[in-house]
Amino acid sequence: MNALSPLEILVRENEQVNPAILLAEELMRRDAADLLSAEDVMKAEEILQIGGMEIEMLQKQLAAFVRLPASPSASIPTGF
Amino acid sequence: MSVCAGPAPFLFGQFNERLSRSLEYLRFKVRSHNAVAARDYVAAVISEQEKYAVYRDLFPDEWAASQASFYRRGYFRKYSERANELFHLVNDNCFPLLDYWHDDPEGDLEHFAIPPLNVDLCCEEIYFENLNVSYAAALIFYCPDDAWDFLNQRFKLSRSDFPEINPHPDQGVWDKNGCVFEDLLRLVDHSTGNPWLDSDYCQMADWFEFNRETIEGLSRDYHDAREAYDNLTPLDALIEANPKKMLSALIDFWNTGNLPDDTALMRTEGSENQ
Repeated sequence: MNALSPLEILVRENEQVNPAILLAEELMRRDAADLLSAEDVMKAEEILQIGGMEIEMLQKQLAAFVRLPASPSASIPTGF
Repeated sequence: MSVCAGPAPFLFGQFNERLSRSLEYLRFKVRSHNAVAARDYVAAVISEQEKYAVYRDLFPDEWAASQASFYRRGYFRKYSERANELFHLVNDNCFPLLDYWHDDPEGDLEHFAIPPLNVDLCCEEIYFENLNVSYAAALIFYCPDDAWDFLNQRFKLSRSDFPEINPHPDQGVWDKNGCVFEDLLRLVDHSTGNPWLDSDYCQMADWFEFNRETIEGLSRDYHDAREAYDNLTPLDALIEANPKKMLSALIDFWNTGNLPDDTALMRTEGSENQ
């Protein structure tokens, strides 16, 4: 059985930015008149797919979190 | 600030384009940097870049001479002025892209439908006087009452002057390559294999992806569809000259699949619908 607390699991997770955010910044800085190569477009489409999956996963987790019933707790989280 | 409302008359050329680019960048930076907005932006950039590649490949001279902005929004607001220019070039030089459904400035053209070029025999009112006379004559197999009324009015011919028409055509009518009777029946039957001629307003529209292959394919098909109607002109003349003989031959062709011994009914090489 996993003995880690939810907070510990969260802390252990890799911290990363959705790759679509990084690519959007990169694309915004380049000149639109310099057309992307077929390879660039393919790479961008891959990133779009990965970014989209991350968004979908987060939205599902958020929806599941909202459905959780409220429960009283003796400990009050601090540090926020 | 008025500068955001549109280009002022004193802003020209490169400076205007750089200013538009800077404004686009600032709009991007002031928006919350969330993943959803970033994903939508990347998708929009890929879409526009694909349109630019199509523009450059299909219309290289216009692409080289174009001054349309890559950053300012055009009539279709999801696309730059440059991409909008491509839509008009396709519409003016290839086929009617912007007619009918595609007039919503908020819409997108990632996928598009095409307007049918054939007569809708299902629900549309048929204006026989606007049709090729051969097309109108062939409608005796599909809308007999209205077609015979037209033929009676035009040539004083009635149904009783001709043999009984079978409810379905002989299978042989569909394999007489090079015969204008077959071309005519395929056209009226909406079974030409050409999307411009086989669709009508009653059925669900086919949606085409906006890419170079589709644009080139639909351009060829549009040209062929126009030519299919032009190829009816010699048959129209034969019917006008001897309506009873030609109508009898057409009915015999429908009933038996037999071609009349008449070389005038064979398509010439020049009118090959390819």
